[in-house]
Amino acid sequence: MEVSDQQTIIDLVKELVLRLLPPHSNTKSNSNQSLKYAMRILSSRMTPSISIDDSAIAESIKRQLVNEGKSSDALNFADLFTKFSSKSGPGSIKNKWAVIYLLKVVSEDRRNEKKSDSRVSSGFFASTVNGGLPNLLIGDENGDLRKTLDYKSRGNGGGGVLLVSKILNVRESAISEYVNLVKEENEVFEGVLVRDVLYACQGIDGKYVKFDKVLDGYVLGESIKVTRATRIMVRKLCELGWLFRKVKGYISESMDQFPSKDVGTIGQAFCAALQDELSEYYKLLAVLEAQSINPIPLVSEKVHSGNYLSLRRLSVWFAEPMAKMRLMAVLVDSCKVLRGGEMAGAIHVHAQHGDPLVQEFMRRLLRRICSPLFEMVRSWVLEGELDDIFAEFFVLGQPVKAESLWREGYRLHDGMLPSFISQSLAQRILRTGKSINFLRVCCEDQGWADAALEAAAAVGTTTRRGGLGYGETDALEALVVEAAKRIDKHLIDVMYDRYKFKDHCLAIKRYLLLGQGDFVQYLMDNVGQELSEPANTISSFKLAGLLESSIRSSNAQYDDSDMLDRLRVKMMPHGTGDRGWDVFSLDYDSRVPLNTVFTESVMGRYLRIFNFLWKLRRVEHALIGVWKTMKPNRITSHFLTKQEGVVKLQFISTLRRCQVLWNEMNHFVTNLQYYIMFEVLEVSWADFVDEMEAAKDLDDLLAAHEKYLHSILEKSLLGERSQILSKALFALFDLILKFRTHADRLYEGVHELQRAAQPSLSSRGKTKSKTWVGRKALTQRAGELLQNMGNDLNAIAKEYSSSLEGFIAQLPLQQHVDLKFLLFRLDFTEFYSRLRLNK
Amino acid sequence: MDLEAARTAKESLDLAFHMSNILDTGLDRHTLSVLIALCDQGVNPEVLVGLVKELPKELPALP
Repeated sequence: MEVSDQQTIIDLVKELVLRLLPPHSNTKSNSNQSLKYAMRILSSRMTPSISIDDSAIAESIKRQLVNEGKSSDALNFADLFTKFSSKSGPGSIKNKWAVIYLLKVVSEDRRNEKKSDSRVSSGFFASTVNGGLPNLLIGDENGDLRKTLDYKSRGNGGGGVLLVSKILNVRESAISEYVNLVKEENEVFEGVLVRDVLYACQGIDGKYVKFDKVLDGYVLGESIKVTRATRIMVRKLCELGWLFRKVKGYISESMDQFPSKDVGTIGQAFCAALQDELSEYYKLLAVLEAQSINPIPLVSEKVHSGNYLSLRRLSVWFAEPMAKMRLMAVLVDSCKVLRGGEMAGAIHVHAQHGDPLVQEFMRRLLRRICSPLFEMVRSWVLEGELDDIFAEFFVLGQPVKAESLWREGYRLHDGMLPSFISQSLAQRILRTGKSINFLRVCCEDQGWADAALEAAAAVGTTTRRGGLGYGETDALEALVVEAAKRIDKHLIDVMYDRYKFKDHCLAIKRYLLLGQGDFVQYLMDNVGQELSEPANTISSFKLAGLLESSIRSSNAQYDDSDMLDRLRVKMMPHGTGDRGWDVFSLDYDSRVPLNTVFTESVMGRYLRIFNFLWKLRRVEHALIGVWKTMKPNRITSHFLTKQEGVVKLQFISTLRRCQVLWNEMNHFVTNLQYYIMFEVLEVSWADFVDEMEAAKDLDDLLAAHEKYLHSILEKSLLGERSQILSKALFALFDLILKFRTHADRLYEGVHELQRAAQPSLSSRGKTKSKTWVGRKALTQRAGELLQNMGNDLNAIAKEYSSSLEGFIAQLPLQQHVDLKFLLFRLDFTEFYSRLRLNK
Repeated sequence: MDLEAARTAKESLDLAFHMSNILDTGLDRHTLSVLIALCDQGVNPEVLVGLVKELPKELPALP
């Protein structure tokens, strides 16, 4: 079948050739040559460039006809076409579209040939070849002429202006005039302008488009004649060039400044990310440049098209790069003076954008920029290394001594904190790194590395570089939390186990806060004698020796020797009138790392409490001493029986007064002592122990200890608010001590009298004469003594009661709720309140 | 049946000739019928256009 088909075709072609040749030159050779030529063309296999759709072609033909003004022809054609296409069955044409297409093209060509003298008007007819778009026949001049006319004639493609045939001539002439005008105005071809714009967008001045410093932009020179529309278009496209210049300028500036260490790692990362984006941009520009010198390939020779790339096409291509470049320029502007974490925070603010293109872009950029920052966080949290040459991290370290490492060694720098890391997270980061450094420096512990590895494994990242990136703030937070948990726990364990923090606290409580009663008693006994001397005569070595002996004689000797070694005597700086009592104190020596908790100021506070407690003890000790002398014994009772009359009465009454006063004072001191012991010291200690159990990290521990000390100070009237009261209290103590001396003197006097009277009994035989005389004198002396003593005691009693009253009156005014307990104890029977009321 | 086919063919040709007249292609009836036959055989219309255009021009070049 193929062969017969071929034969049919050849026959038909022969026939066609015969027909087509002009009649007069109908020779054999001619026709053979023509035949050969025909066959050549046949085999060239040209294909039409449009789709196989006969109704579309028919439509376009109709439109053409209408535009020409032959509307009746158009109707006829439509009619015919309908009938033509409805023909089906044997004998009908199968390839209808081919026929229609054929007719169309042939008619066009004919028209083109016919009207080839008038160059313009032919352009208005839709060319089938171009797929329905208008084209112009202007010979070799292509360029913006066609384009400007193009968009004038765009109406042809779409619904068409209905022109009446009569005005066709007028239109044609107007258009030819316009074309001449345009040609005059445009010196420059569009292709050249396009290339210039492409150069401008890379920051290079083109032939016509140059950078104008005054206007701060790329402009077409004033002297060049182009239409205003073109000028504006060029200006708009060159905005991209301006933005590009800005971004590139920033990058090169930063790169230049790099050796002077002003830019920082984050700035460098930013520049690198920008350069990557710019390389994408360069790629696009290269493609566009390649395009700009290619024409569109076409079939018919008479119809030319210009460059593929026109200004308008360029503006479409530039839409996306323009948006990106604008974004980059905005970022560059906002980051010009920022560095480090600040820069990351500022860029992050810009990333809060709804447009998905912008979000994607910013996420890429931020991932690169924040990688040095995240790296720094990671190494700080997992290794405690502060790897920050350019001071961009938000944790600042300063070289300090070992004992203040925890409190002052590191702190947060809020300026460098980027906005996507919250304040609490930053605190945790700081604490974790601080703990690692603390462990490494102060505790000489290496176990934290395991904890760090565990933490990293738990979260899923590694301890190597590059585990985290921007946008994974959650992952970072999880890592920090895990690391913090483990390292804090490790630190607490080290503090409790290796350094026996709890035991040290307990030791301090027992010695400095006089918890170990028997030890204090022995100390007081041994040291009390010494301390009555003036302060500058006391030697601290002797006191140290006494301390040692009192330790050895009490239960304290069974305590851990490490703690006992740290206990020593401290003599405070004293003036001239001070007694030993004023300057004596005990001190507990704590070393690294414990002196993070027991700093100088903390130990100072312990000292104050010790002083107070020591004074209290001293007063108690004094009163007990008086009690010892006051106990009824043979001497006094003997004295009692021997005397008679006034002296006896006086004696009895003095003694009684003494005892009563002693009782009062004892009651006061005992209750105060018990209050301090049970309500203040023990309660605070119990709270502190609970909090120590619950403490999760060193900060918690420090806070708990602070609270403990503060509450002790407040409750024992040593705080700032209780200064008046503590002065009253110390006045009372002084009175009590004075009483002691008086009582001692009284009893001493009595004993002396007794001794003086004694020889009268024992040596009755020998000195009988003296006794009579002595007796009278004795009575007189006794009377005097008792009188004096009585007066003194009265005075002391009065003073004491008034001071005590004042003290108790002021107690309810205190704001601390526990002082009410003191009042309750002292005034249990409301004796003093009633006394006051009666007055 | 043959009559039908012949009639359909003639009518189609008539319509095509009318259309070509409207479009002012300058093709006569016989040439048109040959062209239609060639199209039906499957030849590309573009090729035929080329032929129609080039052949008349060819002649002046030949001696």
